[in-house]
This record gives sequence, C-alpha cells and structure tokens, in this order.
Amino acid sequence: MTIEPVMPKCWRADTKPHKFCPGCGHGLVLKALGEAIDELDIQDRVVFGCDIGCSLLAWDFFNLDTVQTHHGRTIPVITGLKRANPGLVGVAYMGDGGGYAIGAQHLVSSAARGEKITAILVNNTQYGMTGGQMAPTTLPGQKTETSPYGRDPETTGTPTQGPEMVATITADGAYVARGTVFNVRQLKTFLKKALENQMAGRGYSFVEALSLCPTNWRTNAEETWNMVNKVMPEYFKVGELKVPAGMGGQ
Amino acid sequence: MVPVSGKEPGPIVQRIVEAYIGEYAGGKSEVALNRALELGREGRKVTLVDLDIVEPCYTLRPIKHLLEERGVCVLAWETRKTFGLGEAGTVLKADARWALRREGDVILDIGYGVEGSKTLSLVEGARTEKNLCILAVVNVSRPMTGTVDDIVEHVKGMMPVHGLVNNTHLGDETTPEVVQAGAGVVDGAARILGLPVVATTAVEEVARAIGPRDASGHPVRALTRYMPQAFW
Amino acid sequence: MGDKPIGGEKRVFMTGNEVVAYGALAAGADIMYGYPITPQNEIMHYWTRMVPKYGKGFLQTEDELSAGFTTIGGVLAGKRAFTATAGPGNVLMQEPMSMAEAMRLPTVAVVQQRGGPSTATVIYSQQEVILTTMGGNGEGLRVVYSTATHQELFDYTIKAFNTAWKYRFPTFVLGDGYQAKMRESLTLYDPEDRGIEMVVPEAFVGRSGTPGVDRPPAQYRNTYSMEEELAGALAENIAAYEKAAPEISEYEEMGTQDADLVIVAHGVVSRAAKLAARDLGKEGIRVGYFRPITLRPLPVKRIRELAGGTGTFLVVESAYGQLARILMEAAFGAAVRIVPLYKPGVGVTSEEVVTRVRELVGQSL
Repeated sequence: MTIEPVMPKCWRADTKPHKFCPGCGHGLVLKALGEAIDELDIQDRVVFGCDIGCSLLAWDFFNLDTVQTHHGRTIPVITGLKRANPGLVGVAYMGDGGGYAIGAQHLVSSAARGEKITAILVNNTQYGMTGGQMAPTTLPGQKTETSPYGRDPETTGTPTQGPEMVATITADGAYVARGTVFNVRQLKTFLKKALENQMAGRGYSFVEALSLCPTNWRTNAEETWNMVNKVMPEYFKVGELKVPAGMGGQ
Repeated sequence: MVPVSGKEPGPIVQRIVEAYIGEYAGGKSEVALNRALELGREGRKVTLVDLDIVEPCYTLRPIKHLLEERGVCVLAWETRKTFGLGEAGTVLKADARWALRREGDVILDIGYGVEGSKTLSLVEGARTEKNLCILAVVNVSRPMTGTVDDIVEHVKGMMPVHGLVNNTHLGDETTPEVVQAGAGVVDGAARILGLPVVATTAVEEVARAIGPRDASGHPVRALTRYMPQAFW
Repeated sequence: MGDKPIGGEKRVFMTGNEVVAYGALAAGADIMYGYPITPQNEIMHYWTRMVPKYGKGFLQTEDELSAGFTTIGGVLAGKRAFTATAGPGNVLMQEPMSMAEAMRLPTVAVVQQRGGPSTATVIYSQQEVILTTMGGNGEGLRVVYSTATHQELFDYTIKAFNTAWKYRFPTFVLGDGYQAKMRESLTLYDPEDRGIEMVVPEAFVGRSGTPGVDRPPAQYRNTYSMEEELAGALAENIAAYEKAAPEISEYEEMGTQDADLVIVAHGVVSRAAKLAARDLGKEGIRVGYFRPITLRPLPVKRIRELAGGTGTFLVVESAYGQLARILMEAAFGAAVRIVPLYKPGVGVTSEEVVTRVRELVGQSL
C-alpha cells in the first residue's frame, strides 16, 4: 500500500512530479505557499507570477493562474495586474538574482511605493539555473563558478540583507519577514500573513525564504541541512522584521 | 539702479508689470511678446522675461535676437548657451530672478505646469510689486479650457489672477467666428470669477475683421505670430 | 466611471502629446503606466490630470522596464493598458515588448522619437524605426503606426488599441518630438459616433471560477525547453502575423501612377515630401509620393508594385537609412534605384526635398 503525501489542494497534480532537483528548497517554499493559499481559501483569486531562474519551474506547479517572466520583472507584472484589478491577490515569486540584482530596482521601488502585492524571494546563495554563479546573497568565502576562490567581500561586497532593506524603506503597514525551509511551519505562517496583509490592503508584503541548493552547493543531505540551519543564519537572521499594528507578531 | 516703488508723489507714468499665465499651449508667450512689442513701439522701455521652467520648446529662446532687434530687452537663454535642454531641466536664468528690479515695464511670460503661476515666487519682489497684474490667457479651442466651467476651475487653481485674455484660435484655421465664440465663453467665465477680460487677441487679419471690440465688448489686440518660429 | 470624455465632434487646437492622451481616453483606455522622458512627458501630464474625472488609472514606475512590464500586467488583467516613451526609454521598453510579442499580449506603446544614439537630443529624429519595428530578441511580430499629423495621432492612438486587442500583437504609435510638441488643429470625436467599434478586452488571468476546479488554470510562459517546441510556437505566431499583415498594413500615396520618381517618406517628414511633390507638380515636374503608415507590417504588396514600375525611390528621412533599409528589404529584386536624402536627427523641409529632386531630374535629362 502506498500512502500519498499530503499536498496542498491548490497544487496541480497532473504536472507532478515537479521539475526541481531532488533536495531543492523550492518545493518546500511552494508547498508552504500552497497551504497558506488553501487555508485562506483564495485559490480563485491568486495570480502567481514567477521569474526566470529556477523559480520559473513553478510556472505550472499550481492550479493557479500564472504568468512567467524574467529578471525580477515578475514584480512589475504583478504590480501592473494588481493596479488594474485590485480584487486579485498578486504573488511575485523570484530568486535572489532577480530580486536583489538584475531586478533590484523593482523590489526597491515597489516596496517604497507600498504596492499591495506579496513578493516572495527564495535565497539559495547563488544562481542555480545558470550554473551556480555568485549571487548578491553568496556568503563570504563561498565558492561559486564566478567566485572560484571564494567570495571576497573586499571586491564583491557582503551578502545582501534584503528583508532588512525592505523593512527600512517601507511605510507602516508593510509586512516583512525572513523564513527558512528549515522551519516550514513558521515559513507558512509568514507567507500566510504576507497574503493576509495584502488582502487587508495595509501595505507591501515581503518574505525571503532561506532555501537549499544541494546541486550547486555540491552537498550531501547532512551538509545541506547544516548550510541552511547553521551557516546561512549567521548572515541572514530568521524572523519577522516588520509587522503591521494589529496583526500580532510570531 | 533706481528702485521703482510707489513712494514718489504722483508718478507721471506708471510702469506696467504684467505676468501672463495659463494653460499649456494656450498662447501665453505669443500674447506676452506681442504686448512687449506693443509697449516698445510706444517708446517705452520694456523687458520681456522668459520664466518657462517646464517646457523646453516653444519658448522665447529661439526668437530672442529677433525680438531684441525690435526694441525689447529679452531675458531668456540662447539655445547654444544651454546644455542638455529638456534633459537637464530648464535652468532659471539669474537675470530673470531680478527682472523686477529693472527700470521700465516688465512683461513676464510664465510657463505652464500644475502650479505654473507659482513660478512668480522665483521673481524677487513679485509679492510686493504694486503694479503687478496677473493675466490668464485662455484659448477656448483647447479641450482643457473648452467650457465656462473648465475655465473657472482652471483660473481658480491659479489665483491670484487679475484678469483674463481671450486668445481663442485654431492656428491657421482661425476665423472671426472662432474668436468671437471664444470671447463669449471667456466672458461667461470672467463674470463668474468676477474678473475683467482685458483683451481679446487675434492675428491681424482676424483682428481687423472683428474691429476694435469683440462681440462681448472687450478690446481687441492684434497679434503678429512669432511663436511658430520658436520651436526648439 | 465619469462622463463620456468626448461628446460630439469638436475642432480643437492642441499639442501632439495632449492629442495622444485624449486619443487614449477616447479609445476607452483604462490605465497608463509610464516613466518620465522628454519628449513624451505631457502624455502623462494630461492623462494624470484626467484620471480622477474619468475614473482611470495611472502608475509612475521606476523605469521603462517597469513601465512596460506593468503595462503587461494591466493587459493580463483585461484592461486597455498603455505606456509612452522615447529614445533610451524605448531601448529599455524593448525587453517588456519582447515578452508581449512572445505571449501575444495586446500592449499599446506610444513612442515619441528623439535624437540618438544614447542620450543625444530630447528634440526630434526618426532614428527609432528599426528599434521600434524590430527591437527585442525576436522576429518583430508587432504593429507600428507612423503618424504624420495631429489628426492621425488621435486616429491611430484609438486604432492602436483595436489592432492590439483584435490581433493580439504589441502595437506602437510612432511619433516624434516635433509631433509631440507641435501645435495644430484637429477634430476630436468619440469613436462610437463614427461607427468605430472598440474591441472589448478580455482578461487573460483572474477570470471567474477556481482554476483547476471550474476551469483549467490560465498559465502563461515565455520559456521553452526544446528547439522544436519554440519553433512550433513561433510558427504559429508568425503564421498569425503573416495572415493579419495585409489587413493591418496601410499607406498613403499621391501621383504615383507612371511616375518615374517617387518620394518615399514616413511620419512627420512625409509632410515635407508631400508638399515637395505638390510644388514640383505645379512647376511641371511630375513626381510621385508614397508613405507607409504601418512601418511594421509594411505594405509590401504596394511597395513591390511601385518598385517594379518606378525608376527611382527618393527616400527622405530624419535618420541614416532606417526607412530605406526596411524598404529595400520589401523591394528586394526590383529594378528600382534607391536614392537617399538622409538627415539623421534633423528635420527635413520641403525645399530640401525639392532641391534634391531637381538635381535628380537634372541628372537624368
């Protein structure tokens, strides 16, 4: 007898198994997001935008209306959509390259304007789909294809503190958190609050998720968990950074 | 420099200080420069000031020399002395700021913009200048100022305004009928606003056809069109 | 919604940028997304002034990438969404318009060309022809209307929305700095009064019903895994474009019958070309005048007919052969000789065209 794993109601069964690598963190983030959508019962009004990079593999992951774009432009696409139809719940899903590098202006400006969207950024410390190059989130000393001797902060800077930046530039009413696939229950709570905050029209909602990339990290299971549980939190503090009044922190 | 204040007893000739404001492309510059030339022809000392800080084209800049040849002092940039026009923003010419300290008549051509008339704040002494007369130029053929209500709303947004100028026209297609119809609309707005219509303006040929007063009784000023030459 | 913006026909005196804003309003556009760049700014200025009165939307974005992608978002929501740009902004605009091309999204973008390359002047040029017709990493599956008068700016702004939503290709209205700032009279009208039926937009995403329960999810991507998969999608789009092209393409001509020399120009320069042809005709020098209104798709059939029956095309443009390049491609193989009158980034007067024609006629005598 096989026991089917419990999956979110809004996920799309006919596109499974999903297209991510074994051990990839995206599946966990998406599962948490799917459950949050189920619990809020908003499958009929969420529009899911995904980006280039590994996030694009989510383009048919859910039974949700979806649009895939690239270079962090998922934020303006979802922004334009939400502005044109405020009744929808817009989710812009992207990686660290899209949100913190090539499309950083969209993250910064949409946050500063207080767009009523939910932006979700998956941080796996490098560019997965293009073959493991250095990302804004690459850790000091971390080896990638474009930092073969390890990231040198002297010449390439230090890991981008995304949620900290967003928390600083957003007005009251914004919800900003950093979750981790190491604690999926907490991550789901953050994502759910980020969706609720958008629906309440309070302000910008942003969740960064610390994630896994064993393929490009070249790590076994134990090393992978160690990276996300021990190493990454040294640079990226997990928790809520900004919670609108009346919402209640974790 | 002789400060022109109202202190001297019984001034023989009051100086004329007029600021032309109004809707984008409503004809402010054309009306202002023609007014300056008219005063110049009367032998008066006139300074015409370009205070358009929004729009990089259709300003007095390109025709500065032409107007100066006709006896008016023009405070405006020369295009070749600007850099990155329209890209770097329109830099206020320092002379323009002190225009009211000059002797004689001063005609101010104020640019448009949401708060275009606020540009006057940039001119030293504008708030205390007792002769200052702010005139709103209206072309009823422009959709934003096409009806009595539109004009009333538009002028109210620019207060203080001391009078209106009916500059209704359709470019090359202008007829006396177009101008007269405009005069009626502007007159209606002026009555609601409690302001005088100081003039109806029209190109010479049309002005001649209308006569010295328009159908609503306002004086008609003939214009020579210079601004089509002032494109960039 | 507010009052009907334009009631009855009205003769008015306006600048080109205002005309575009009123054209969009007359077309029933719902929302504009834009980023400031000269010489298109007054399109935004006037649109934003009219927004509350007519219940419209506007978003000033962080750049033209965002302006284009938010326009895409508006279109996905089923709204008549548009943007406007110029020069370096048009360069950035090509990225979102490539996506619109890939996904067959009916975006409308107004381009007021300025001098190039790079920052250059904010004033005027026709140097964005290749960029607007073929920009992006694709096949140029888009519609580009090149307007010459304020009346056309109004007419084709309205038409752009219909073409976009009918054929589902990104559509551009290509003006320039002169047209943007120039003042002239035109007639405003409500398209309905003229029997122009506006194509009703439909939402791509967020329609009623729960995806996967009441209906399949609407899922759009522009990524393909296989060469063949992409080739299939492209073949379908190209076929749709080729089919629509003869219906979309438009031109204007005068005195081309048996003319040995035809002046070819587009946009505002065609005004000088037309005037030159008329003036020359008055002094007994017979020349034709031809103007493609759609630069993409070009009126290829008519161009080939003319190229087969005419000795010379005098191509006049405020660019260094951008119109000539697309014209030559369309006329390839025909005997016609192409003679240039190129003035990149500068306006062209009818006198200059007349002079050039006199030289050419003199040579052939």
